[in-house]
Amino acid sequence: MGKLFRKIFLVDLFQGLWVTFRNQNPKYIYTEQYPAERPKVAERYRGAPRLNINPENGETLCIGCNLCALACPEGLIVVTTERNEKTRRKELTTFTYDTSRCMFCGLCEDACPVDALELTQDFELASYTREGAIWDRQMLEEGPKPTRYRC
Amino acid sequence: MPESTFLDSTELVLNMGPQHPSTHGVLRVILKLDGEKVNGTECVIGYLHRGVEKIGENRTYQQFAPYVDRMDYVAAVSNGLGYCLAVEKLLNIEAPPRAQVTRVILTELNRIASHLLWLGTHALDIGAITPVFYCFREREEILKIYENYCGARLTTHAFRIGGLQYELYDGFEEQTKAFCDMFLPKVDEYEELLTNNRIWVGRLKGVGILTGEECKEYGVTGPVLRAAGVKWDLRKAQPYSGYEQYDFEIPTGENGDTYDRYMVRMQEMRQSVRIIRQAVDKIPSGPIMGKVPKVIKPPVGEVYVSIEAPKGELGYFVVSDNSTQPYRLRVRPPSFINLQALDRMVRGGLVADVVAIVGTLDIVLGEVDR
Amino acid sequence: MADEQKPVGSEPPPPKPGETAAKPEPPQAAAKPAPPKPAAAHAAPKAPAVMAATPWESDLTGQVKDRFGEDISEFATYLGQNFLVVKPDAVIPVLEFLKLEADFDYLVDVTAVDYPSRAERFDLVYILYSFVRNERIRVKTRIPEGFRPASAVKVHLTANWLEREVFDMFGIEFDGHPDMRRILLPEEWEGYPLRKDYSILQQDEKWVKENLGIESGQ
Ligand code: SF4
Ligand code: SF4
Repeated sequence: MGKLFRKIFLVDLFQGLWVTFRNQNPKYIYTEQYPAERPKVAERYRGAPRLNINPENGETLCIGCNLCALACPEGLIVVTTERNEKTRRKELTTFTYDTSRCMFCGLCEDACPVDALELTQDFELASYTREGAIWDRQMLEEGPKPTRYRC
Repeated sequence: MPESTFLDSTELVLNMGPQHPSTHGVLRVILKLDGEKVNGTECVIGYLHRGVEKIGENRTYQQFAPYVDRMDYVAAVSNGLGYCLAVEKLLNIEAPPRAQVTRVILTELNRIASHLLWLGTHALDIGAITPVFYCFREREEILKIYENYCGARLTTHAFRIGGLQYELYDGFEEQTKAFCDMFLPKVDEYEELLTNNRIWVGRLKGVGILTGEECKEYGVTGPVLRAAGVKWDLRKAQPYSGYEQYDFEIPTGENGDTYDRYMVRMQEMRQSVRIIRQAVDKIPSGPIMGKVPKVIKPPVGEVYVSIEAPKGELGYFVVSDNSTQPYRLRVRPPSFINLQALDRMVRGGLVADVVAIVGTLDIVLGEVDR
Repeated sequence: MADEQKPVGSEPPPPKPGETAAKPEPPQAAAKPAPPKPAAAHAAPKAPAVMAATPWESDLTGQVKDRFGEDISEFATYLGQNFLVVKPDAVIPVLEFLKLEADFDYLVDVTAVDYPSRAERFDLVYILYSFVRNERIRVKTRIPEGFRPASAVKVHLTANWLEREVFDMFGIEFDGHPDMRRILLPEEWEGYPLRKDYSILQQDEKWVKENLGIESGQ
C-alpha cells in the first residue's frame, strides 16, 4: 500500500527535488571567479619555484651545493658554479629549472640546506613556448609575471 | 551461443572507448553483441602506461615516492602510504605514533574523496547529474585540507619514508572536525537523492552480480568484494599504521550487485568519518619522523606490503639489493585486477549495464595501466 | 637487519649445492664477496647478494613437504613474511594443493624479478593469501630464459591478466595460457621493458615513429 502510494505520488522524485531546491540558496555558491578574483592558496602551496635573495645585499642565498639537483627525481635542475679566486668560495653562475617537467613534489625544496630554493604560492606558470617553461636564474629570482586580465 | 537471426549475422562487434565519457579514462572495451545483449567483452588497456615500475627501479627510494601518487591519482595519499609502509618494512622501522595517526586521518579523508569522486561520476553515468556537483563540493573541502597540510591538492606527496615531512598546521584538528560534522548530513543528502530513486534502483539492482566465490576467483578486493558479503578488510584483517586502535565496522552487502556496492561505499564513507573523529581526538605529540638514514639503503631482501586502498588491496612488492634504488618494484594495482572481472559481470547483460558496471568497479586508468 | 646473518641454507638466491649439480652455476658467490657499493642499478646488473632469511617451519610446511618432498627446495621467512621456493615444474601442483587443501584461495599477484647474471634468469613470484587463515605466503620459482612455465589460469582465474603482464614486461611465455598476448604495451612493441638489460631511455623507436608520427622516435 505504502509502496503504491509512493509510486503514484512520485515521492522519491519530490524527495530528490527537495534536496536540489534546498541547495538553491545563494548562500551555497561555491564558484570561484578566477581571473577576476585571485583565489587564495594555502601558505604551504607548492607552486612556482623561486631562488631567494638576501634582502640586505641583494645577493643570492644559493651556495651552489647542487643538492637540489641531486634530490630531484626528474633531474631537471642544472646548477653551475665557479670558484671565486678572491674569497675561495664557490659562486653560483647559472641555475636552470625546467618547469615543464617539474611535478612540484617539493623534494628539491626539502633538500636545500640554506632555504634558497623555495616553491612559492604563484601558480600561473603557463607559457606560449616550450622554451618559456625553462626558467633561468633571473626568472627564478624575480618570479613569473603573468598577464593580468581584467574582467 | 546466440541463435542466428534472420540476417544470419550472429554477432555485432562494438567498440566502446577509448574516448568514451563513461569509461573514466582511456579504457577501450570491445563488446560482442547479440542485439542489445552482451555476449562477451575484451578490454584493451595500456593507453596510459608510463612504466611506473621501471621508473621505480631507476630512482632512489625517496625519489620514487612522488611517482606513486600518479598511479591512482584520486587516492594519491593511499598510494603514498602503501609505498612508505613497504619501504619502512624493508628497513624494519616504524613511523612514530604522531605520524601514524596523521597518516590514518589523511588516508581516511582520501578514502572519502575517492568515494565521492566515484559517486559523482557513477551517478553521472547512470544519468543523475546533480550528485556530481554536490560530491565535488564536499571533495573540495578535503582537497583544501590537503592543500593546507602539504601544499598540493591532488598528487600530494604527503608522506615520507619513515614518517612525515610536514608538521600539522594550526587549525588542522578544527578543520578536520568541521569537515566531519558538515559531511555526515551530506551523505544523508546523497542518499536522499539516490537510494530510493526509482531510476537509480532500476538501473542498479541485480546488475553486474559477482558472488563472493567469483570475487575470490578473480582476486577482486575492496568494496566489490565486501558487497558480495565477504567481510574482509585489510584494515581489520592485517592492521597497519595503528588501525587496530580504531573502532569501526566493515559494511557488507548481500547480493553483490551494483546497488549493494553503492550502499557499501556509502557506509564506508560514514565509517571513515568515524575513524577520523577518533583519530583527531588522540593525535599524540612527539616527533613526526622516525630514525631514517639520509641515504636509504635497505638490506638485501624482499617484502610484500599491502594496504586497503579505496579501490581494494594495493600492494607493493619491493626487492632490494642493498643499493639506493629498488632492484624490483612491483605494484599490485587493485583497479587492474578488479577490471578483469568486468567480462564475467557484463556477460548476458545489456549495453547500458556495461556503463553501470564499469562505473561501479571504480577503476582509475592511471592505476590500471601504471 | 645486517646483524641477522643466518647460517647456511638460509639464502634463497644461490640454490643449495646439492641440487644444482646439473645446472651451470654462475660464479656469483666467489665473484661478489660482500659487494661494497653497487653503482646505479642499470649500470651493471650484479649477482644477487644474500638475503638474510631464516628457515620457516609450521604445520603447513610439514604438509607441503610430505606431499611434494624434493620439489620444494626451501621454506624461508624474511621479516615475518613466509615464502617457499619450488622447482619450476611443481609450481602449479603446489598452487593447486595450497588452494584446495590449505585454503590459499586468493592469488594476490604474479610477478617476476630479473637477475641477468644468474643461470636461472628469472624469479617467478606468486603471492597467495588465505581468507580463512588470514595468512600470506609467496611461492617462488627460478626459471631460465626461454623456459615456458605452466600457466596458473586453471587454478586461479586472476592469473590470466597477471601472467599476460609478466609476459609483456619480461617475455616469459606461459604454457597453456588461453590468451598469451601483450597487455599494456602495443602488440608490435619490441623488447621487454622490465628486463634489466632494457635501459630506461630505450624505446621501440620504430614503433613510435610509425604509429605516433614523432620524428625523433623518443
Ligand atoms: S619540485 Fe620535485 S620535480 Fe620539481 S624540481 Fe623540485 S624535486 Fe624536481
Ligand atoms: S640546494 Fe639550495 S643552495 Fe644548494 S644549489 Fe640548490 S638552491 Fe642552491
